[in-house]
Amino acid sequence: MLDIIKTIEGECALFVVSGWLDTLSAPKLAAALDESLEGITSLTLDLEKLEYISSAGLRVLLVAQKTMNEQGEMKVIHVSPTIRDTFEITGFVGILTIE
Amino acid sequence: MQKMRSSMSFNIIGAIVLSLVALGLIVSSIGYINFTNVFKKEYSLSTYHMADTATTLVNGDHIDAYLAGEEIEEHQTTQRYLDGYCKKMSVSLVYVIQVDRSDYGRFVSIFNSVNNAVDDSNYTPWELGHARDTTDDEYRQKYQALYEKQVPYETVYRTNPADGSHPHITTMVPVMNSAGDVSAILCMQRPIRELQEARRPYLVSIAIATVLLALLASVFVAVFVRRQFVAPIRKVSDEATRFARENIKGTPLGAISTYEELACLAESIDTMETDMATYIENLTSVTAEKERIDTELALARSIQENSIPNIFPAFPERPDFDIHASMTPAKEVGGDFYNFFLIDDDHLALMIGDVSGKGVPAALFMMVTNILLSERARAGNQPAEVLAAVNNLLCNRNKLDMFVTVWLGVLELSSGTLVAANAGHEYPAIKRVDGAFELLKDKHGLVLGCMSGMTYQQYELQLEPGDKLFVYTDGAPEAINADYELFGTERMVAALNGNPDGSPQQLLESVSDAVQRFAGGAEQFDDLTMLCVEYRGCAKTARDGEGA
Repeated sequence: MLDIIKTIEGECALFVVSGWLDTLSAPKLAAALDESLEGITSLTLDLEKLEYISSAGLRVLLVAQKTMNEQGEMKVIHVSPTIRDTFEITGFVGILTIE
Repeated sequence: MQKMRSSMSFNIIGAIVLSLVALGLIVSSIGYINFTNVFKKEYSLSTYHMADTATTLVNGDHIDAYLAGEEIEEHQTTQRYLDGYCKKMSVSLVYVIQVDRSDYGRFVSIFNSVNNAVDDSNYTPWELGHARDTTDDEYRQKYQALYEKQVPYETVYRTNPADGSHPHITTMVPVMNSAGDVSAILCMQRPIRELQEARRPYLVSIAIATVLLALLASVFVAVFVRRQFVAPIRKVSDEATRFARENIKGTPLGAISTYEELACLAESIDTMETDMATYIENLTSVTAEKERIDTELALARSIQENSIPNIFPAFPERPDFDIHASMTPAKEVGGDFYNFFLIDDDHLALMIGDVSGKGVPAALFMMVTNILLSERARAGNQPAEVLAAVNNLLCNRNKLDMFVTVWLGVLELSSGTLVAANAGHEYPAIKRVDGAFELLKDKHGLVLGCMSGMTYQQYELQLEPGDKLFVYTDGAPEAINADYELFGTERMVAALNGNPDGSPQQLLESVSDAVQRFAGGAEQFDDLTMLCVEYRGCAKTARDGEGA
C-alpha cells in the first residue's frame, strides 16, 4: 500500500513516498520519519507518486512539520493536483512549504 | 474399561498358553521319535545277537541234505534245540529258511519253532520243506542282501502291523556253511511290547508337565501383566477420560511405572493437564475482557449517538426550514460529528466536523470539540470567532497532535442570511431553488487543533426559500470500492442532483444509497456523516408580513 525510499546525505533527508497514505499505512511513515530525523536540518518529501492521503496521513505530515520547525526546514515537492486539493481544503497549504 | 482389561490380559495369557502347548507338543514329538528310534535300535541289536547265537545250533552244510530227507536225526535234534532256545529267549518265532536264489521270490522252510505264549499269537509251525512265497518286496530285498553278504543282519519292523497282530520285529541272520557261503537264513521274530508300554507313560508325563507349566505360566503372566502394564495404563486412561470430561486439573499421576514408555505417557498427561488448565484460564479471562470491552464500546456508541440531535423531524413546529442529518461510524464509535440547534428563535446553528482518525481516540476528541463549538456558538459568537477560540483551546491540550476539520454556519431564519466559516472541511454543496447542486468553494482556514493563534475568515450567503445546503464529511467522497476507486465529489453531487426535489431526508438517502452501491461489498472505510438543511422561509409570512 505504501512505499518509502529514504536517502540521507549528511543533514539532508529525502523521502520519496508513493502509494496510499491512510490510517493503516500512516504508522509506517511515522516510524520511518521517527528513526531518521535526528540531526537532520533539511527534510524533503517527494509526493509525486502519492495517490491518496487521509487525515491520519495529514497528521504524520503535521508532526513532521512541527519537528522540522524546531530543527530546520521541511518542504513537500511534486504534489499532484488531487493531493494539492486536499492540502487546500484542510488549510495545510498554510503550514506546509509546497514546491 | 472392563472389556479392555480382560481382552488385553486374555490375549497375552492365551498367547503364552498356546505357545507353551505348542512347545510341549514339539518337545514331546521329538522326544517320542528319539525314544522310539533308540529303543528300536537297541531291540534290533539284541535280537541280532540272539539270532546270531541261534545259528551256532544249525549245521549250515546239511541244509540241502535235510531237504532231501537225509540226516533226519540231526534235523530233529537241531529242531529240539531251536524250540528250547525259542522258549528260553521268549521270542515268538525262530525259523530257518532256504530262499530261491533266482529272484528270492520263494523259500522253503528248514526249521520252524513257535512260541505262541510269548505274544498271544497262534502261529502253526511249518514242516520241513514247506514252500512259501516271499511276503513282500522288503523281505525279498533283505534276503538278497543277506545272501550276497552285504550286511551282517537285517531287521524288518512291524511297529504298527496291518494284519492286526501285535507289534514285532523280525531279525534275519545268514547261516554259513564251512565254505563260507550263505546256505540258509535264520529269522527271529520278537514282540516289542515293552516299547509300546514304555512310550505311554512318557507321553502322559509330558502332557501333564505341559499342562501344569501352562497353568503356572498363565497365573504368573496374569499377575505380572496386570500389575506392570494394565494397572498403570488403566490409571492413565481413567485420568485422561476424567479430564476430557471435566476439564479440571486433578491430582497428578506422578510415577506410575518404571517402564519408560508408561512413565512418559503419565508425565505427558500431567503436563498436558497443567497446560490446558492454564490455557483455559487465560482464554476465559481474555474472553471476559473482550466481552467487557464490547459492552463498553456499545455504551460509548450510545452516548455518542445521543450527544448529537438524532430525532427527526427535529423541529416539526418550524415551517421555515427542514433539516436532516445522519452519522454512520466505520467502527463502533467514530470521529465525525454534526450538530444543530436554535441559538434563539431566529438563529439556527449548523456544524459538521471530522476528527483525524477513527475509533475511541477520535470519538473522545470529537465529544470535546462538539461541546466547545456548541457552547461558543450558543453564546452568540460569530462563526470565525468560535473557530479561532476553539482552535486555541484544542491546541492547548493536544499532545497527540490530533486535529479536526469543521464547517460552522449560523442561519438567520427571518432573512435567510447564512454566515459560515470553514476550518479545513470539505466544500459544502448548495442548490438554489431553480438550479442544481454545486460545490461551493468557500474560503478555508487551517484545521482546528493544529496550530494555535490561527484566524479564520467567515463569509455570507443569502438563501432564498427552496434553497438547500448539503454538508458532509470525507466518508462520502472518499468511499472506496473493491478496485480502490474513490467515490469522489462528482458522483456525490450527481447523486444529489438525481433527486433535486427531494427533502433533506431523501437527499441524504440518495447519497447514502449511491455510496453503498458504489462500494459494492467493500467494508466501510471511513465514518460517513451528512447534514442537509432546506430553507423555506415561511416564517416570514407567519410573522405579520415582516420583510418580503
